[in-house]
Formats: sequence, structure tokens, C-alpha cells
Amino acid sequence: MIDPLLASIKIAGAGLEAQSTRLRIISENVANSQSTATTPGGDPYTRKTVSFDNEMDRTAGLSLVRVKNIGLDEAPFTVEQDPGNPAADDKGFVKMPNVNVLVELADMREANRSYEANLQVAKLSSDLLSQTVNLLKDV
Amino acid sequence: MAISEIAPLGPTQTISGRSSTPAPATSAEASGPSFVQTLGQVVSDAVGTLQSGEAAAIQGIQGSLPPFKVVESIMSAQRTLSQALAIRDKAVSAYQEIARMTV
Repeated sequence: MIDPLLASIKIAGAGLEAQSTRLRIISENVANSQSTATTPGGDPYTRKTVSFDNEMDRTAGLSLVRVKNIGLDEAPFTVEQDPGNPAADDKGFVKMPNVNVLVELADMREANRSYEANLQVAKLSSDLLSQTVNLLKDV
Repeated sequence: MAISEIAPLGPTQTISGRSSTPAPATSAEASGPSFVQTLGQVVSDAVGTLQSGEAAAIQGIQGSLPPFKVVESIMSAQRTLSQALAIRDKAVSAYQEIARMTV
């Protein structure tokens, strides 16, 4: 059985990995918020979504977190009138990605907070472990 | 009081290049591994942890391992090293305590 404090560091590491994947997806969405199709009338970039899942580490009996699925947002595309765009259809309408930058920024803050929370767990567990070892010194 | 009882200090000297030097045989009771064997096991585990910490650091510099994995490995190595040092300090101070004993 793994030591509980070591286990929390390991679990927090899995959390860091999951949240950094989430940040990666958010940055893809933000960067592609204006990416249109290359063919007339084609579909633009589709917003990606991340979902998390509980992953059991059977050897140590820990509940880690992992990225379950990177899916596509099924919300409809917005349409803009832009006849000069290569992606414009015969009426001059261009489908724009279903990415709302404000939503992405709110999501980014949440991912940021979750990452920091996991960092605090790792830091605290590590501090407690080293304080315990320091009991051996200078008694 | 036989000074050879101090033999458990042996394994701490073999941290670098731990291949020879079998754990000094003690008049171990038949039940369970002796302190020397346990300490030897702990030391060789510690060497393994330190080596994987170094490997992770190199991979981190090369960029083939995410930073938090590197940090996790190095923190584990650091923890192992400080534990080993604390135990060694304790053993050395016990030895000195005996050496200072008035005859």
C-alpha cells in the first residue's frame, strides 16, 4: 500500500496532466476562433470540448483523473456575410466557427484555478513529508 | 559490548557503486530480515530513485517529458536523498555517542 502523502502527490500529478490538456484544447479553440473552411460553403473549425473521468489505479488503489474524451461541440455555426472570403457560398455567406472567445476565457480561468489547486495539494503533501523526515534531525 | 555491533554502518558507505560488499553477516535472529539487510535494500532503492530522477531531468531538458513528470521524479529523488542523509546522520551520531563513552 502506497503512503497516503505520496499518493496525493501522484494524484495531483494526474490532475495537473488533465488540466494542462484542458488548457491545450482551450488554446486550440481560441487560436481557431476565426478559422473558416477552404472550400466554398464548407464547414469551419468546430469547437472542441474536454471531459474528464475517474481512472482507477488498481495496483495502488488510487482514484486518478484522466481525460476521458476530446469531443466536438455540436452547437450551430454562426453565419456572416463576406462575399470576398474563399469559404463564401454562392449567396456570399461564410460559416464561422462555433467558438465564443468569452466562454473560452472563462473556461481558461477555471482550468487555471484547478491547476493551481492541484499544485497546492502537491506542495502541501511534499512539505508535510519533508517535515516528517526532519523530525530525525536536531532533536 | 562488542564494537562489531556497529557493523550496520557498512551499507551507507556503498551508496556509490553498490555491487560488491554483501551486507555484513550478523548474528541475526531467525525471524525476519536483519536491520542491515533492510538498510541495504533501502539504500539500493534510493540509488534507483536517484537515477530515475536524473534520467527524468535529462529528458526534461530534451523536452521529451512534461515538466510535472520531471518535477515529480526529482522531488521523489530529493525526498529519498534527504531521508537517507537523515538516517545516516542518526547512525553516525549513535556511533560517536558510543566512541565518547568513558571507559
